[in-house]
Amino acid sequence: MAAVTPASATTSASLPLTQFSSSYSSSLSSTSSPFHLKLKTATLGNRCVRCGVRSLENQSGHRSLDFLSNGDPISLINPNLSSSPISMAAASSESGAKCSKRVCLFYSDETRDLAESIVSQSDCIELRSINWKKFDDGFPNLFIQNAQGIRGQHVAFLASFSSPAVIFEQLSVIYALPKLFVSSFTLVLPFFPTGTSERMEDEGDVATAFTLARILSNIPTSRGGPTSLVTFDIHALQERFYFGDTILPCFESGIPLLKSRLQALPDSDNISIAFPDDGAWKRFHKQLQHYPTIVCNKVRMGDKRIVRIKEGDAEGRHVVIVDDLVQSGGTLIECQKVLAAHGAAKISAYVTHGIFPKSSWKRFKLDTKGDPAEGLSYFWITDSCGTTVKEVMNKPPFEVLSLAGTIASALQV
Amino acid sequence: MSENAANIIMDNKICKDALVSELQKKKVHLFYCLECEELAHKIAAESDHITLQSINWRSFADGFPNLFINNAHEIRGQHVAFLASFSSPAVIFEQISVIYLLPRLFVASFTLVLPFFPTGSFERMEEEGDVATAFTMARIVSNIPISRGGPTSVVIYDIHALQERFYFADQVLPLFETGIPLLTKRLQQLPASEKVIVAFPDDGAWKRFHKLLDQYPTVVCTKVREGDKRIVRLKEGNPAGCHVVIVDDLVQSGGTLIECQKVLAAHGAAKVSAYVTHGVFPKSSWERFTHKNNGSEEAFAYFWITDSCPQTVKALGDKAPFEVLSLAGSIADALQI
Repeated sequence: MAAVTPASATTSASLPLTQFSSSYSSSLSSTSSPFHLKLKTATLGNRCVRCGVRSLENQSGHRSLDFLSNGDPISLINPNLSSSPISMAAASSESGAKCSKRVCLFYSDETRDLAESIVSQSDCIELRSINWKKFDDGFPNLFIQNAQGIRGQHVAFLASFSSPAVIFEQLSVIYALPKLFVSSFTLVLPFFPTGTSERMEDEGDVATAFTLARILSNIPTSRGGPTSLVTFDIHALQERFYFGDTILPCFESGIPLLKSRLQALPDSDNISIAFPDDGAWKRFHKQLQHYPTIVCNKVRMGDKRIVRIKEGDAEGRHVVIVDDLVQSGGTLIECQKVLAAHGAAKISAYVTHGIFPKSSWKRFKLDTKGDPAEGLSYFWITDSCGTTVKEVMNKPPFEVLSLAGTIASALQV
Repeated sequence: MSENAANIIMDNKICKDALVSELQKKKVHLFYCLECEELAHKIAAESDHITLQSINWRSFADGFPNLFINNAHEIRGQHVAFLASFSSPAVIFEQISVIYLLPRLFVASFTLVLPFFPTGSFERMEEEGDVATAFTMARIVSNIPISRGGPTSVVIYDIHALQERFYFADQVLPLFETGIPLLTKRLQQLPASEKVIVAFPDDGAWKRFHKLLDQYPTVVCTKVREGDKRIVRLKEGNPAGCHVVIVDDLVQSGGTLIECQKVLAAHGAAKVSAYVTHGVFPKSSWERFTHKNNGSEEAFAYFWITDSCPQTVKALGDKAPFEVLSLAGSIADALQI
């Protein structure tokens, strides 16, 4: 596999720094997921960005590249050392960092803000543009500007499939870009929709997650080989196998952003993590091992389904409910009530993907009176779902943690 | 054509039908998208061998589809077809999800009927940077899984560009049909005294259709650049005193047809009608053609379209000069291939 070399680092006094190994897999073999860790120094302090989360299910420790030479899991350094409140926990911009590759980043209308943030994270990434017009019949009329200028360049596209209506136009660009003699192509799709519809329980169920995986697996190969697909906290772990071998999925997570945010809280030593169900526990517990955990589950009582605490103790704790996504918010609210009833002092929530269809985010209020049953202290989401981010920005309890830094690093893989 | 001759042909057709049904006709289970419900019912009415099946088309709160194919077990070992209509990008994903699943339910064969292949007019890269969405669509369709019956057959009517047939990969079997026989049958019903000739609005239309209409004299138009403007001119043929039928594969804004009609009238055409297979008519552009009943002379005597674009057919209802020629019979036959 790849060589492991220690990186040098300078530390700022207040934060622990453990030795990091950096690994770079340059051969795109089918068994390894590209994984890269970089340590950059700048005059403002340290910044460490973690990129690439390996399978969380691995018990046997084969994948030693993920972790340190001394065997400790990676802990994240607080990227933002200033004392200003974090509403966008984006890392500070780089100076003097060496580019492993320069990347031309195209983006869809919905993802413009995130694209601009990504570019501000790195000198190695520049924005490119596309004319997104429509014919009268509603079908797209697209033009990739300066197509000749991307020959021999590494190219990426930041997509957002927020509804079926916008898939076709983005797909047309995604299918066209790899064939323009680019040296590699990466599709960044922070949120993979349909993820919850990924099982056939009855014959006749249509697993739309598989449809989407099929559509993406059909992206043409470019001179750089199979397209890399970067996505965050995909809903079901099995979904990684839904992609054909023509695509290299790179499964990232937003949890490192949460961890660094938690470390900055005044009561960071009183935090417990709650998982609303076993699925969430399977997805995330390994990344959050250092915190005491609480696991909830749904129990059937007659016709109703009631949320109960299966294991763990909430008494007196600041409990952070963690899940990959939120839709109506029903599950989170039920958990919140149960945790409050079991004595939680404060309750917050984190989801990577704040979908909130039909403005369901309005159900979540700020806890101003120390009553966790009525309100949350914080509700963290990432900027994977651009349309929601606009609505909840600057509205407590919501805080947006930006994926820009993580994506910028992922593009260097 | 005389009435007797027509009757004899009908009798022969009846004999032929009887013969064919002696041989084993395929029983086909036809699923369909919501937009196509009316056409699906017409197709099933054309043949005893076609049964309609249903799908639950629902959405989750986030707008993504929540689909269920009813009686999925019953279609095992059966010939299955899906009647699709990609009238806008928003409806493509839900239909594709069904289309990608049906072949894998142990069916004996799978056929996709997509009467109108959209994006067809955007099928060239003239400059590097153009995104040929027709190719995207062909890719999506080519990726339909194969079933026990082999590659999926894809039935398309009057695809816009002839080269587009090569846009499909070998895992699908495109079957290119045409609506023109419906037109010729309809033209045969016009009074024998009318001298019917066919006009093509440009060379592209001529290439696509002249062989199917060689029993009629033809007129070909062309667009000529004069400074900034593009003017429609007559290239060959003489419409004087005739009932001219302008033939093209589709109509969008209708601008081309209107320009042609003016030129033909100026050259002495007695009557002008139009036929297009696909009445796309975005933004209700069909309103430019309806008879206004205000005593002024009507530009088009007839405007024939097929029911490939169900949204238009619903909007048009019965409005003159439009007449809808149904593809149901043709599709029912195609499903037997």
